[in-house]
Amino acid sequence: MSLNAEPARPPGGDYTLDAGLARTLAEIVGEKHVLSRQSQLLVYNSDGLPGYRRQPSLAVFPGTRDEVIEVVRALHAVGAPFVPRGAGTGLSGGALADGIVLLGLNRLKQIISIDVENRTATVEPGVVNLHLNRALGPKGLLYAPDPSSQAACTIGGNVAENAGGPHCLKYGVTLNHILAVTVVLPNGSVVTLGDEVGDHAGYDLVGAFVGSEGCFGVAIEITVRLTRAPEAVRTMLADFLTIDGGARATSAIVASGMVPAALEFLDGPTTRVVESSIYAAGYPTDAEAILLVELDGLVDGIDVDVERVKRICMDAGARNVRVARDDAERLKLWQGRKKAFGAMGRLAPHLVVQDAVIPRTKIPEILAAIHGISQKYGVLVCNIFHAGDGNLHPNIPYNADDAEQSERVHQAMREIMGVCIAAGGTITGEHGVGLDKIGYMEKIFTPNSLAAMCRLREVFDPERRINPGKVVPLHSCREWHATPAGRGE
Amino acid sequence: MARHASRTRGVTALTLSEIGSRVAGAAESGRALRIAGRGSWLEAGAPVAAGETLSLAAYSGIVDYVPGDLTITVRAGTPLGEIAAATAEHGQWLPLDPPGSPDGSIGATVATGSYGPLASAFGRPRDQVLGLEAVTGTGEVITVGSRVVKNVAGFDLTRLLVGSWGTLGVITQITLRLRARSDVERTAAVAVPARGPKLAAALATVRNARLAPLALELLSPEVAEGVGLRGGTVLLARLGGNDESVNAQLAELASLGESITASDGCWERLRALDAEMTATLRFSTPLTDLPILWDALADVSVGDHLILRHATVMRGIVRCLVRTPAGAAPPAPDSLAAVARPLESARLIPERLGAMWSRLAPSSVNDPISRRVKEAFDPANVLNPGILGAAQ
Ligand SMILES: Cc1cc2nc3c(=O)[nH]c(=O)nc-3n(C[C@H](O)[C@H](O)[C@H](O)COP(=O)(O)OP(=O)(O)OC[C@H]3O[C@@H](n4cnc5c(N)ncnc54)[C@H](O)[C@@H]3O)c2cc1C
Repeated sequence: MSLNAEPARPPGGDYTLDAGLARTLAEIVGEKHVLSRQSQLLVYNSDGLPGYRRQPSLAVFPGTRDEVIEVVRALHAVGAPFVPRGAGTGLSGGALADGIVLLGLNRLKQIISIDVENRTATVEPGVVNLHLNRALGPKGLLYAPDPSSQAACTIGGNVAENAGGPHCLKYGVTLNHILAVTVVLPNGSVVTLGDEVGDHAGYDLVGAFVGSEGCFGVAIEITVRLTRAPEAVRTMLADFLTIDGGARATSAIVASGMVPAALEFLDGPTTRVVESSIYAAGYPTDAEAILLVELDGLVDGIDVDVERVKRICMDAGARNVRVARDDAERLKLWQGRKKAFGAMGRLAPHLVVQDAVIPRTKIPEILAAIHGISQKYGVLVCNIFHAGDGNLHPNIPYNADDAEQSERVHQAMREIMGVCIAAGGTITGEHGVGLDKIGYMEKIFTPNSLAAMCRLREVFDPERRINPGKVVPLHSCREWHATPAGRGE
Repeated sequence: MARHASRTRGVTALTLSEIGSRVAGAAESGRALRIAGRGSWLEAGAPVAAGETLSLAAYSGIVDYVPGDLTITVRAGTPLGEIAAATAEHGQWLPLDPPGSPDGSIGATVATGSYGPLASAFGRPRDQVLGLEAVTGTGEVITVGSRVVKNVAGFDLTRLLVGSWGTLGVITQITLRLRARSDVERTAAVAVPARGPKLAAALATVRNARLAPLALELLSPEVAEGVGLRGGTVLLARLGGNDESVNAQLAELASLGESITASDGCWERLRALDAEMTATLRFSTPLTDLPILWDALADVSVGDHLILRHATVMRGIVRCLVRTPAGAAPPAPDSLAAVARPLESARLIPERLGAMWSRLAPSSVNDPISRRVKEAFDPANVLNPGILGAAQ
C-alpha cells in the first residue's frame, strides 16, 4: 500500500501515442485484438490494488510468439512505452499502464512441451499456473510454486514477480524453478537467458530476470523445472488460544529438522471472516491463531512426523490438532486458506492485501505491534501468512471511496510497514514493488544500491521504455555514463 | 526459540572502506585486481591478468547468527568450516559442499557459484544466498537482497553477483539460509553397472525410486576408491529424515544393487579429491543424457593422464577430474579437447583448466547482455579481468 492515497487520474496520461500505431498493430495481430476505446480499456485499469486506477490508451493482444516480437518491434519503431500484462492479479500496480500501451500476453496459452523423464516443461507466458499443474498431474509431476492466485495468474507473471506460495517453504520460489527464459527486449531483439539444461557458464541472467517485474523485457517462452508429486501428503490444523502459541509452534517445527511442505498461519479475525463466508472450512472461530501444517514426501515415516508436529503444537499450547482423514477434508482445510482473500473481500468494497517479510523469531512481537496499530486507527487487520518463511500478509477490508477511512487505513499500513522494516525485514516477499511499494525502496536500500539496480535495468532497457516508473524511484537512477560501445548490440 | 544472536570476532584486519578505496583506486589508475578469498582455489577460472591481489582472507567472521531465524550473515573471508562449526552447535547447517576443503571461504564459494553433491536436495549458492554486500568496480558499496528468507524487493543483483567470479563486484558480506539437520542421517552405497544401457536403466530406476536423498552421487571406480569404497562404479547416497523413512530408503537403495559399506567420511574425502588433480571440468546435461555423457567421458583418453568422474544424478551434473601421474607434465591443451566437448547436449562449465581455459572453453560472457552487464558494474575492467574469458 502506497505512502499516498492515489487520486484517480484522467485516462490518457502524458504520452501522445503515434496516431498510426493502432493500425500498425492491428495489421500484426488482427483488428479485434487491438483495443483503443476507453470503454473497452476500462477492464485493464486495475491489478487488484485498491485505490489505483490507471488506464492504457491502447491495448494489444498478440496470439503467437512471432506476433509478440513484431508488436514489440513496432512499438520500438515509434518509441512507444508499454507494459506487459499477464492475468493482472499482481496486487502491486506492476501491470498498470498509465496512458501508454498495454501488451497483453494472456492469449499465449500453449504448453509447448513436457519432458517427463528430464522433468522440465516449456510454456508460453500466458499459461495459467493451475492449467500447467492440471496437465502435469496425470504424469505424476507438478510445477511447485503455487501462489494462492494460481487459478488465474500466468507463468509469465509468476516469473516477472518471482511468485511464491504456501508450498514454497519446502520447494522454493519461482526463481528456484526457472531454467531458461526467452525474452523480447524492448528494442525488439530476442535473447534466451539461462539454459534449459540447468547450470551453465556465465552470468546468472535468468536469475536477474526473474522478479524484474516486467521492466527488463517480455518473457515469451519459459522452461521450468518440474518436481515429482509426493507419494503421501498429510494436512493438519492446530488451533491456539493465543497468537504467541501459534508463533512458538511455528518456530519449534522449523527448528525440528522436519521441513513441512507448508506452514500457514491465520489469526482470529481471519478465521472468523472465513467461517462466516461460503468458504467455511470448519476452523474453530474462538481460536486466536490457527496453523495449517502440511507434510509431504515418502509414505514411510510420514506419520511419525505427523505425531511429532502434533506434540510440538500441543507443547506450544495448542488446544487441539486435527489431521485431515482424507483428500476431501484436506481440500476443505486448504480452501479456507486459499479463499480467505475472497472472504475478506466480502466484508467491504475494497481490500488491501499487504506483503512484508520479517525474521521468523520476531513474529509474536510484530503481530502484537500490528494489533496495537489496528486498535489505534480503528481498522480491522486480518493476518494470514506464510509463517514458515516469516512472510506476513496483514489485510485490511475497507471502503476506498470513504476518504476518512482510507486515510486511517493508509496510516495503519504505513506504520505496519515501518515496524516490519525496523525488525530487519523487507517490504515485499512475493507481490513485488510495482507502483505500490516504490516509496519504501529508499527505506531499505542505499542510494548506491538503488542506482546499481537502475544500471541493471538499463542493460536490458536503456530507454526505460518497458514498464516505466515502476520498482525503483526515478530520481534514484542517477546518470550513468556508459560508452556508446558498451551499450550497443 | 529465543532470539539469540551469536557472533565471532573473526579477522578484520581489513575494513570495508579500505576494500572500497582499493577498488576505487584500481578503477582510477586502471590497474587490475585479482580478487582472492583464502587462496585455496586460485587456479580456477581463466588466467587473470592483474598486477595486484586483493585478498578477503583478512575480512572474516560471523556478523549475525540467529538460530531461530535459520539465517546467518558472514564476512566473505569466513572459512566454510567456521560456519559449519557455529551452526552445528544449534543442530543446523549450511548445506553447501563445494570441492575443496572446509578451509575455503564462503566468499569464494558464492562468487564462483560452487557447489557439491548436496546441491541435489538444496540447490546451488544462487538458491541459498539471501542477500549480500559488495563493492562494485567503481568502488561503491552496494547492499542487495535482504536478511530474511523471502524477498522480492527491487531488481535481483544478488543473483547477478553470485557466480560472477568477482568480475562485477567484490563480495564482502553474505546472508545465507540455513537448514535444521534431520534427526537421522545415513550414508549408504550400492554397486551399479559401469556403463551403457544397463547403467542408463539403473539411473532411470533410481530417479523414480522411493528415495528423497540429500545427495546421490555416481562415482567412477577410481573416485570410489579415492573415497574409500571398493566395488567398481558406485552410487553413493546420503539420506536424511526420521528412523522409519531413512530405513525405508536404505532398503529401497539396497534393492538397486549390491550394498557396499560406506561412511559419512566419504563425502569429505570426495571434496578433498580435487586437491590431487591437475584439471577439473564440470558439465550440465539433461538427466536422460547423463549416462551417455558418462560413457563418452570414459572413452576419451589423455595419454597417461587419468580421467576420474562423479555425477550428481538428480541434477544432471557430471564432474571430470584429471589426474596426472607423479612426475609427468600436465596434459597438453589439445589432448584435453575431447574431454571438453564430449557431447552436443552437454554444457561445459570450466573450473580448473589453467592456461588451457581459453582454448577449450569459449568466453561465457561475450554475449551483448553480459558485455553490457560488465560495463555497468566494472566499467574500467579492473575486477578479475578475463577470468570468465575475454569479452571482445
Ligand atoms: C487473491 C490473490 C492471491 C495472491 N497470492 C499470491 C501468493 O500466494 N504468492 C504470490 O507470489 N503472489 C500472489 N498474488 C500476486 C499475483 O497473483 C502474482 O504476483 C502473480 O505472479 C501475478 O501474475 P499475473 O499473470 O496476474 O501478472 P500481472 O499482474 O499481469 O503482471 C505482474 C507483473 O508482471 C509483468 N508481466 C506479466 N507477464 C509478463 C511477461 N510475459 N513478461 C514480462 N513481464 C510480465 C507485468 O508487467 C507486471 O509488472 C496473489 C494475488 C491475488 C489477487
